[in-house]
Amino acid sequence: MPAVSGIPTEGFLEVPGGRVHLFRGGAGDPLLFLHAAGGAGAWHEFHELLAASFDVIAPDHPGFGKSDDFPDVEAMDDLVYHYLDVLDALELERPHVVGASFGGWIAAELAVHSPHRIGSLTLLSAAGLRLDGHPVPDIFLMPPARLAATLFHDPTPAPAAAGPPDVDAILAAYRDATAMARFSWAPYLHDPKLERRLRRVSVPTLVVAPDDDRLIPVAHAHRYAERIPGATFASVAGCGHAMYFEKPAEFADLVASFAGQQSTE
Amino acid sequence: MKFSFFHLMPYPYLPDDFDEAYDTSALTFPNKHFDPKLGSQLYHRYLDELEYADHVGFDGVAVNEHHQSAYGLMPSPNIMAAALTRRTQQARIMVLGNAIGIRGNPLRVAEEIAMLDLLSNGRVDSGFVRGIGWEYFAHSVNPTRSRSRFNEAHDLIIKAWTSEEMFEWYGENYEYRYVNLWPRPVQQPHPPVYIPGAGSTETMKFCALHRYTFMSVYAPTRVVRLWFDGYRRAAADLGYVPDPEKIALSVPVYVADTDEKAHREAEPALMWLFRRGLKQTMEMVNPPGYVSPGSLRGILSIDRKPFTALSYAELLADGYAVVGSPATVAARLTAMHEQLGGYGQLIGLFAIGPATREQTRRSTELFASEVIPALRHLGVEAS
Repeated sequence: MPAVSGIPTEGFLEVPGGRVHLFRGGAGDPLLFLHAAGGAGAWHEFHELLAASFDVIAPDHPGFGKSDDFPDVEAMDDLVYHYLDVLDALELERPHVVGASFGGWIAAELAVHSPHRIGSLTLLSAAGLRLDGHPVPDIFLMPPARLAATLFHDPTPAPAAAGPPDVDAILAAYRDATAMARFSWAPYLHDPKLERRLRRVSVPTLVVAPDDDRLIPVAHAHRYAERIPGATFASVAGCGHAMYFEKPAEFADLVASFAGQQSTE
Repeated sequence: MKFSFFHLMPYPYLPDDFDEAYDTSALTFPNKHFDPKLGSQLYHRYLDELEYADHVGFDGVAVNEHHQSAYGLMPSPNIMAAALTRRTQQARIMVLGNAIGIRGNPLRVAEEIAMLDLLSNGRVDSGFVRGIGWEYFAHSVNPTRSRSRFNEAHDLIIKAWTSEEMFEWYGENYEYRYVNLWPRPVQQPHPPVYIPGAGSTETMKFCALHRYTFMSVYAPTRVVRLWFDGYRRAAADLGYVPDPEKIALSVPVYVADTDEKAHREAEPALMWLFRRGLKQTMEMVNPPGYVSPGSLRGILSIDRKPFTALSYAELLADGYAVVGSPATVAARLTAMHEQLGGYGQLIGLFAIGPATREQTRRSTELFASEVIPALRHLGVEAS
């Protein structure tokens, strides 16, 4: 029976340490999508496009969206074990793993640690590396307007908020940012040991970068592609680090055509 | 009532285009604007001012810790406190405080405060602060660990001061195989502890639990009332009424011979403090995880203008600062005593921004000779 378009199932998954909130929709080989610093708690057009070809599973990271805090998940190494727990709980043997930005960093670390649990790896302008001469600006210090200007190739001005600020929305955003800081304040958005470990990634890998990435310079994606054996590189034109928020169809096409050629058996 | 002279040691010589060119005087404000020769002169002038406060009868002289800013030039308050130990006679030497949330090695704080206690022959008060949000950027400390680091550093320091047996320490943030403090402090069981609070319910409860002195920071009187009430409520929940001297109002104070002269001199100094010294972005002040969800909800529920948006009239009317002749200042602080449900210590910021050496000295002198005697009786009756 074909999946009903536009209506993913939403639920919670029990894993050691708490409950993971996730969306799941579509049919085909399983594809685990790991979201960026923004993007928790939402089923986006990008997910929907992938769901035409894959069984898309989109969890919220610990402390993000509607997932529990998981206070024992303190750092990136704990996140890797957390996602191994998630794979086990979902009984996924070797799903396609796709990660964007912060989620791409998690995906890369997972692939270093357990390449046998991954069918294919797609890194969308992944964080995780530190390159001399190609610094990542401090997202924690950016006021909202500067953040939008940094993330989007073509920032559309946000409509002016009417009325008093929505306290619950502010608190939810602060919670996501707090989880982000937990994993990436220092070392800032990278793991100094990751680059030399990338040689361990023995799965088919696609590295994608938007051509106008003002947050994570494109040199980072090139370095990932150089260090991961056999990785291929693709670029999306006229797009900023917001990637699938700015050009959902282009990103979905690249991911689907790459992952569709790889076996998860 | 006790009275202290608090110094931030600001760097007032900002460039002419500061207001347009920079969104803050901290963290990212380039240190090319710091002139070491002027800075050296400032240090000695500021220490003179603290020593003068001791000389004219203040009960305490206070310094604090800030990093990478023109707002305050004391990355190490303990160095300034050390300079004061041998040049003051009577006053308590108040370090308000060491930012133990961002220290890599909190045992060093226990050691330095113990040294100060010996040097001052038991005159040291030891404040502990978490460090302002921007200092978590400046020292690359994860703000989501702030509360945990602060609590653990506090517990370690107190145990190091009070234990006469060597111990080992394994916590979430720190590990020491040998803690064996040499020297130990003079004051027993340990130097009095002060904790500034800015609305965090965790801080109020922590302070009440340990019976530490709770001190306010810049805020309108109506908000400080909420904080003091929160501290009193936390103490009541533990079954006691805090001693009045455990509640300290911290506020900028400027005194001159007449109201007119006081306002003429204080306005530019206070506007520098609130428009420039305290110019900082939201992102710098509340980095992710620095405040708990409950405290953030409380902060958001209180309608407050940013410091830089406050007019001079608002600073005075709302109780952010106290300015006037000795009689005016005494009357205002008495009224605030009423509005706040009482306080037993006044920690006054008497050296404000670009106020001159002469202005600060006169303000200090008038406060000591005319205001302190008028207010001394406040705060004692509740005990």
